[in-house]
Amino acid sequence: MKTLIGLIATIPSLLIVAPGNGQIKNAKTITVNVYGNCGTCKRNIETAANTKKVSAAEWNENNSTAVLIYDSTKTTADAILKKIALAGYDNQSYLAPDVAYSKLDLCCQYERKKISKLTAQHSGEANMKPDMTAMSSQDINKQAAQTKNENILSAVYLAYFGIKDALIKGEGNAASAKAKELFKAVDAVPMDKLSASQHTIWMKHMKDISYNAEHIKSTTETEHQREHFTKLSIAMYEVMKIIKADYPIYYDHCPMYNSGKGGDWLSKESDIKNPYYGSQMLSCGSTKEVIK
Amino acid sequence: MIDNCRTKVVLCISVLFIGLDFISAQQVVRYDLYIRDTVVNFTGKEKRAISVNGQIPMPTLNFTEGDTAEIYVHNELNEKTALHWHGLFLPNKEDGVPYLTQMPIEAHTTYLYRFPIIQSGTHWYHSHYELQEQIGMYGSFIMRKRKHDPTFRKGIDDLPTVPIVLSEWTNYKPENVHRMLHNASDWFAIRKGTTQSYGEAIKQGYLKTKLNNEWKRMTAMDVSDVYYDKFLINGRNESQLSQFKGGDKVRLRVSNGGASSYFWLQYSGGKITVVANDGNDVEPVEVDRLIIAVSETYDILVTIPNDSIAYEFLATPEDRTKFTSIWLGSGVKKLANPMPKLKYFEGMKMMNGMMRMNGDLDDMGMHMSLNRMDMNVVMYPEITGASKKKKDKGMADMDMGNSPSAQEDQYNANALSDIVTLNYSMLRSPTPTKLPQAPVKTLYFTLTGNMNRYVWSIDNKVVSEADKILIHKGENVRIVIYNNSMMRHPMHLHGHDFRLLNGQGDHAPLKNIVDIMPMETDTLEFNANVYGDWFFHCHILYHMMAGMGRVFTYEDQPANPEIKNPKYAQRKLFSDDRKFHFMAENDFATNGNDGMAMYSNTRWQLSSEWRLGYHDMHGYEIENHVGRYIGKMQWFMPFIGYDYRYRMQDGEINFQAKNIFGQTDTKDNRQALSVGIQYTLPMLVKLETEVFTNGTVLIQLKRDDIPITKRIRAHLMINTDKEYMVGAQYVLNRFIAFRVHYDSDMGFGVGLNLNY
Repeated sequence: MKTLIGLIATIPSLLIVAPGNGQIKNAKTITVNVYGNCGTCKRNIETAANTKKVSAAEWNENNSTAVLIYDSTKTTADAILKKIALAGYDNQSYLAPDVAYSKLDLCCQYERKKISKLTAQHSGEANMKPDMTAMSSQDINKQAAQTKNENILSAVYLAYFGIKDALIKGEGNAASAKAKELFKAVDAVPMDKLSASQHTIWMKHMKDISYNAEHIKSTTETEHQREHFTKLSIAMYEVMKIIKADYPIYYDHCPMYNSGKGGDWLSKESDIKNPYYGSQMLSCGSTKEVIK
Repeated sequence: MIDNCRTKVVLCISVLFIGLDFISAQQVVRYDLYIRDTVVNFTGKEKRAISVNGQIPMPTLNFTEGDTAEIYVHNELNEKTALHWHGLFLPNKEDGVPYLTQMPIEAHTTYLYRFPIIQSGTHWYHSHYELQEQIGMYGSFIMRKRKHDPTFRKGIDDLPTVPIVLSEWTNYKPENVHRMLHNASDWFAIRKGTTQSYGEAIKQGYLKTKLNNEWKRMTAMDVSDVYYDKFLINGRNESQLSQFKGGDKVRLRVSNGGASSYFWLQYSGGKITVVANDGNDVEPVEVDRLIIAVSETYDILVTIPNDSIAYEFLATPEDRTKFTSIWLGSGVKKLANPMPKLKYFEGMKMMNGMMRMNGDLDDMGMHMSLNRMDMNVVMYPEITGASKKKKDKGMADMDMGNSPSAQEDQYNANALSDIVTLNYSMLRSPTPTKLPQAPVKTLYFTLTGNMNRYVWSIDNKVVSEADKILIHKGENVRIVIYNNSMMRHPMHLHGHDFRLLNGQGDHAPLKNIVDIMPMETDTLEFNANVYGDWFFHCHILYHMMAGMGRVFTYEDQPANPEIKNPKYAQRKLFSDDRKFHFMAENDFATNGNDGMAMYSNTRWQLSSEWRLGYHDMHGYEIENHVGRYIGKMQWFMPFIGYDYRYRMQDGEINFQAKNIFGQTDTKDNRQALSVGIQYTLPMLVKLETEVFTNGTVLIQLKRDDIPITKRIRAHLMINTDKEYMVGAQYVLNRFIAFRVHYDSDMGFGVGLNLNY
């Protein structure tokens, strides 16, 4: 928290002679903090700040600052910073809406740590959005007292549920990102901490899981992702049946998928939300089994 | 933003109560309200508004249950007024409906409202006189629970509270807004960018949808009628409450004082906990967002998660054209998710599916109620995806149209996404709300109306066309309301709370407004327990003024001492929806003057059309019609008319011409009375069949205002006198359009079309 406040407090309102602002009258120039991390970010930020003959920006990746040039009779630095935040970029005056941030390209999803730490600090029980990261850290604390094994696989499970949620919405990009997480999580499972029986079942299905995760990761085409998701779900079911989570898991079935061959999936929620057809047939399917 | 003028408009959130100990109950609480004309500047233009005690919104009035309210209204306007205490239980004569429960407060007089406070909760008050509510006359009316009230909820009723009044501002005079709505002006659509023209339809691949839409005789669809210049929270577009710190919980007492705008409410600091609705407690329910209907109130809890961040409480009008926000806390500002623009053509497609050829709505067996299914989700990018996605071919082949449940999910926002949207079925009273045992009287209302002529009614009758509804004191009145119109309507009952039967059994929530979306059916019931004439009406100001309401009256009730001449009062009350609206336009063109004038109300229309050349050769003609619209959709209008035409070509009048029926064509010299009918055909083509006293028959097809692009409108006309006209105009602004046309009589013309 201190770092952010520090940053804000020390922001200098540098007045420099900026090049290339010949078109902007009554030009005022100011340097501001805008967070981002790549060339695409640069383009996004500068596009958001740009209004012909009124405002322009040049963003510097190295120190996360932007030089704003604007017609002070027509707009304000605050208004430009708001536009930049609405495009997904936190800055010294505004924090981006969560949806705008999550819609950024994967390469642009800059580290938001400082801010999320800030927001998490006072997040009462029910008042934070149930975002995945906040949940997982809470879960981990809870579960640490119970079984160590759940702790180990919870990242795998959550990444799987992430893929499923993305497919419900038909978002190929997000599914791909979550598959990447799953792939990593599988890799990071410390096998030595599994009991013998758990070890056997994990070894048996681990390859299927990472194989299908890799395929989902490598495309953004939801149809192709769903083909691998059926196989992934079968493997996950076998694992979840043995290495249980401390929450109930619903094993659901869609009879229509794949020309009537059907498709299964696992969910933390009892509601049916079909990942195979998304909004077209959201509630098609039924729960086959509850794993508790 | 607000100018230094005759009075200063100030922010009305100064009253913030922390703890209730210092307020003792059982006392007379007096307020003096000074109502004055003022000038405001919300948009850079100075406009007339009405302020009370120098502010907009009106001051927040605070009471504790058990108090007696004494409110002195000092009317310093040059016009009448009357204040309605929205959602309050009070004697009928204090209810503030002019010409129904009292005579209006005359200019430059003082009037006293005095009534005991016998309930608690978040309510509001507003002018019920003409259109004053639109220009500033709305404010919060807060009644707190007594300290030892058994329903007092720790952690809710002891939180700091902030009154929040939502409203909107238009630079047009509200009378003019009303007139433009009645004349089907599409100027508001142009301002909002919602013309939905053929050009836009083709560009976005919805030509078939647009054609189908006009085939079903619908004009561009929208979720609200009026274009507003600004939206306001407590009289400001943007403001901040920086006194809150991280960890603070705040109760926002939100009233929607907008005249015709629904608002989406969102908060960037986390979930919103709804704890009361329409002034009545509900069991806390957590949501991501909710829509507040015109005149509803919601009490919501929000938490400020962090010290160094200010969180946005964002109110977005349903048409999503603009927004208004208030920041809670201080520091770097955390933005709420802005609401993406509506996908209007998707909405049009949905309406096409729901509309039968006869103008009735078809719910396809979905039994909609309680806002659970929102047909508009097809337009919400945040729920149904950003833009048109390519259809999954395999899926398109599958037949899912037959199963109502599959269809229902298409419109259930909560099933379609992980955004939780409040709906009425989620509201549950913490205490049983069962009515006392009594005979039940059941009434069925169908909400009706049409957008083309802006007629809004119940069972196709406006207030002045319907009798009062007689009820017995002591009985339970149950009302089943079906919305067969294309707009949603917030229906408000005066003087009583009703139970909304929403599946919560004995714990059905108590409300005094129910928002009913197109095709929904809702059931509500109340115990008739207080004498009086109680208004039941749509709270969209312009719908109410158009006559969408009824009056409940008790059998054998004592006369209202405030209404000394009931006949006169009734006539004045009815005059609202009997009002005639005037419009006129004239094209000053190179080949003559083309124009028309219209004077119309709910049923009647007097119209006159003229084509005046500059010399005898082009001729002069004027057609006058007096007609009455028949039916709910008002597609059919019989009329009587008078035609005058005169044209001399090459020095003589042509008596030889024949019309297509072989009759002598009198179009060059006609002075005749006529009877005829006008009928609106699919594609909004008007068919006119007319018989003149001299035996001539005239059949004419005409289509005006074909939206080609956002601002270009085309016109076509052809008739059996072998006359025709084609034209197009480009709308420059509200009053002026550039027009070119070709007329078979008068030839080619270019001109400026002025309209009022």
